Amino acid sequence: MQLPLVGDIPSDVIAAWVLSAVMGVVLFIFVMKKRKWPLIWEYMTTTHHRKIGTMYILVSIIFFFRAGMDALFIRMQLAVPNNDFWVFQGDKYNEVFTTHGTMMIFFVAMPFLIGLMNVAVPLQIGANDLAFPYLNAVSFWLFLAGGLIFNMSFFMNAAPNAGWTAYTPLSTDGFTSGPNNNYYIFGLQVSGLGTIMTAINMIVTIMRLRAPGLKMTRMPLFSWSTLITSLLILVAFPVLTTALFLLTFDRYYGTSFFVDDPVYYQHLFWIFGHPEVYILILPAFGIFSDVISNFAKKRVFGYTSMVIAIAIIGLLGFMVWAHHMFTVGLGAMANTFFAITTMMIAVPTGIKVFNWLFTIRRGVMRVTTPMLFSLGFIPTFVMGGVTGVMLAVAAADYQYHDSYFVVAHFHYTMVGGTILGVFAGIYYWYPKMTGKLLDEKLGKWHFWLFVIGFHLTFLPQHFAGLNGMPRRVFTYTTEDNVFGFNVISTAGAFLMGISMLFVIWNIYKTHKKTDNVGPDPWKGRTLEWTVASPAPEHPFEPMPKVTSIDPYWYGKKDNRELEVAESPRPSPIAVKTAQPILLAGTLMVLSIGFVYHWIWMQVMAGAGALLFLIWRFFTDERIEAYRKEEER
Amino acid sequence: MKRLFIMLGLVLLSGCSLRVLDPKTSTGQDQANLIYLSFGIMMVVLVVVFVLFALFVTKYRETESNQNVIPEDSAGDRRLEITWTVIPVILLTILAIPTVQITYDLASTDAESEETVHIDVVAEQFNWNFNYENGKATENEVIIPKGQEVVFHLESADVVHSFWIPQLSGKTDVIPGEELVQSFTPQETGTYQGKCAEFCGSLHAVMRFETKVVEQDEFEDWLDNE
Amino acid sequence: MSQSTSEALFKDKRLGFFLYLGVEATMFATLFATYIIYTPAPEGPAPESVYEARTVILASIFLLSSSGTLLVAESGLKDWTLWKIWTGIGITFLFGAIFMGLEVHEFYKYAHEGYTIGANNFLGSFYVLVGLHASHVLFGLCWMSLLMVQLKKNAIPRALFIEKHKIFNYYWHFVDVIWVLIIIIVYTPFLI
Ligand code: HEM
Ligand SMILES: [Cu+2]
Ligand SMILES: [Cu+2]
Repeated sequence: MQLPLVGDIPSDVIAAWVLSAVMGVVLFIFVMKKRKWPLIWEYMTTTHHRKIGTMYILVSIIFFFRAGMDALFIRMQLAVPNNDFWVFQGDKYNEVFTTHGTMMIFFVAMPFLIGLMNVAVPLQIGANDLAFPYLNAVSFWLFLAGGLIFNMSFFMNAAPNAGWTAYTPLSTDGFTSGPNNNYYIFGLQVSGLGTIMTAINMIVTIMRLRAPGLKMTRMPLFSWSTLITSLLILVAFPVLTTALFLLTFDRYYGTSFFVDDPVYYQHLFWIFGHPEVYILILPAFGIFSDVISNFAKKRVFGYTSMVIAIAIIGLLGFMVWAHHMFTVGLGAMANTFFAITTMMIAVPTGIKVFNWLFTIRRGVMRVTTPMLFSLGFIPTFVMGGVTGVMLAVAAADYQYHDSYFVVAHFHYTMVGGTILGVFAGIYYWYPKMTGKLLDEKLGKWHFWLFVIGFHLTFLPQHFAGLNGMPRRVFTYTTEDNVFGFNVISTAGAFLMGISMLFVIWNIYKTHKKTDNVGPDPWKGRTLEWTVASPAPEHPFEPMPKVTSIDPYWYGKKDNRELEVAESPRPSPIAVKTAQPILLAGTLMVLSIGFVYHWIWMQVMAGAGALLFLIWRFFTDERIEAYRKEEER
Repeated sequence: MKRLFIMLGLVLLSGCSLRVLDPKTSTGQDQANLIYLSFGIMMVVLVVVFVLFALFVTKYRETESNQNVIPEDSAGDRRLEITWTVIPVILLTILAIPTVQITYDLASTDAESEETVHIDVVAEQFNWNFNYENGKATENEVIIPKGQEVVFHLESADVVHSFWIPQLSGKTDVIPGEELVQSFTPQETGTYQGKCAEFCGSLHAVMRFETKVVEQDEFEDWLDNE
Repeated sequence: MSQSTSEALFKDKRLGFFLYLGVEATMFATLFATYIIYTPAPEGPAPESVYEARTVILASIFLLSSSGTLLVAESGLKDWTLWKIWTGIGITFLFGAIFMGLEVHEFYKYAHEGYTIGANNFLGSFYVLVGLHASHVLFGLCWMSLLMVQLKKNAIPRALFIEKHKIFNYYWHFVDVIWVLIIIIVYTPFLI
């Protein structure tokens, strides 16, 4: 289809416009009919950690469906040799895997985890909110703005197409000059800023807002993993920001850093990129630790070594980045160094796996949906872990590198680890978010279909890779002998797709049919189960005093209430404000100004953003709080 | 579990015909051996975890009778924890030694003889150009002699590519402004697929070439004639 | 109450801001690495022929002493001696502004001599690094003017002003430290 200004529009983009328009209208009518505007406004102006966490998760689910659709398109195109599915060949295919990968990592997995942190961490440590509620709202809206910028590209028929790694020089203007990869840069920059702010928020919250008596050595493992993850974010993300910043200069202002030295870009990208995969997995580890201990009715086995293991993994995570670059000719010395550091990571990871297993041993295990996901995780993730060790063998990696073997490996860790962890966490903390308990039966359907579909999809890909199938290819021939693996893989992907429908059905059914549950539906162990479901604002008033690990559990066991702490520290200040969403909107406009090189728009939006900072400076919620204190 | 067996069966059936595991050079053989070794060691780990997992998951379930039992806590067990720290370290050491060895071996280009065939490879979106020492040039097809060391000098005319002939050797990236080399000695005649293994743009998927390994005299003939 | 609201919240903010400065430090570290990798460049202008000692020294004098003058303001905060606060902030602002002027002058001059950002990777990394630092100074100047407005209008509680001033202090000293590193890593090797 030809349109003025935009040119030739492919049919998938038209389909997306039509679909979105229809869904938009349906949604609008629904909101009008049910009179949900006040509720929406409430969420748009909130700074409450639970509500913000819930929004993170809601948006991530939507993005998950979008990126999942991409995956299904990929799998359709690869189902049979020499295929011509719809439009997904050549550049279109490249766009679809780029958006799939980038969305999954930055706009699905990360925000899912950050959402769960928002909901659970303050409740686990007895904090009445995150340390900086206003900043938290800013973080969320920046994430959403980044996600919208990134998603917009597809609707403008300009989706990024240089892979989620955006290797140079392919991603510089000499080779991909359109707006496509500008969207990538600015989508990531804006959401990355939000991520950095969240990390700061989490660290300060955990360091300073724990309930009296909740020493670091009594902290639930999810909070621990959040703390270490946040530290990783603080070091890793600025490197990405800088790399993209330099890339921006290459694309916009005539420098040629990464054209002249592509390997330097790869270094910077992976100095960020490898810690990033630990940023994705460590919080999931935390979730599994808490869930497994909860449903085995035992405290976690080897708590200290669990914490040390997380810390070591985080530390080693910064010393392995070049295992993504074994084939760029760094030399035998560098390759063996990075091979060995990579193998070393397997040790603390192994410790964690055995500790989980031994938490189950001699327990009385109740297999609820969150537990089921945790149980599914253990063998699945271990399979991803062992292929990780295989990949660390530098000389052998010359064969695996950039083949489907790698695709299989990282899906085993990211889907088998992170996504299963996210599902476990959502089922587990759903009462804290909404007050309701998701349906167990549908949850189990979801689990089984998802896990079976998962293995069907990704196990065969190992063999496709070993048979010489490179990743990021839109087609293969009959002689390649990978048809069998691919067709199974495609079938599995659809099974996973179907399993996700059960999630929607489950949410619908739960909200239609069931009433709110009490504070403690899972017979929990940690502080979050002492507060009402859904978690109210300022739930810890009065503030409990903690005297052991898993304080709630041991309290229940001895039939005593938690002691009340005298004179707890003052809580963070909640506000109702539309500033964060407006600020994020302004930055979105700014980014679009950059994407299309509209300088007037850059200037206006840039000035607008500064005005917001000034506005914020003069409307600080502390003004009132401190004044009250002064008057007293 | 069942699906696992089915898949494993599939591997056994097709295992030896997987290109990477059916190499025709000693380089490829070294790499395949490493793959087998690491796979073997990792299978040990996998089996241990799977067995423990199956055991614990079947045994420690909540039932009608133990519903109200509160299991005894255990904060940890020093000996056990040391065990599963030390054993992996040992296994990984076993793996690390040949890794280091072979990685160094493959990096040192052999003492080259007069006979060594040098081929300049220029990768460009989306073609492979091969230039022989005597000025002969081919496109998307390279002919090399059996039993003779071949050294490919890899250059890129535009973006990063990667040079990969799965049955002959692992990948070497082709980076603009930098020359990397790959060398091996083919041991069997035949035609092998060559591929670009680093994403390089629209038609990356079809940026392929054919590698024909022929007898030495046939190679000389071909090089001098046509 | 064991702790007053302002005290507790200030400590929260201080920790958060230090973490933020850590983020900034990582970004600058990456840019320093970039500069070191690309300097001197194999082709195009060499740093020796680009840099000009006079501007650098002048700029350094002003920026570095502005960290000292800010300490005057800080000492005024303790017992709320207004004249000290005003002179401290005022002179700091002035020095910062002079520094900005010199920076603009420097960039302008280089660019006029044909040493533009695209000339080679040495100049590219120079402009990105020093430019990012300069934009931090500029941001600091805006921040200071807002502080002065608030002080003048007496618009916020004293505890909050002290808090904001302290946070600004950290920022300004940080920016100064980066400048010292710039002198050491960027300029000195090519000026002596
Ligand atoms: C839900 C089912 C999923 C399916 C069926 C799926 C399928 C695929 C396939 C087939 C590719 C390879 C594309 C190619 O190389 O041509 C791919 C790439 C990728 N996937 Fe997934 N995926 C799924 C979920 C996820 C999740 C949850 C994540 C991350 C959390 C993820 C992250 C990635 C990344 C990073 C890439 C690489 C993209 C690139 O090469 O630039 N995927 N996926
Ligand atoms: Cu990595
Ligand atoms: Cu390619």
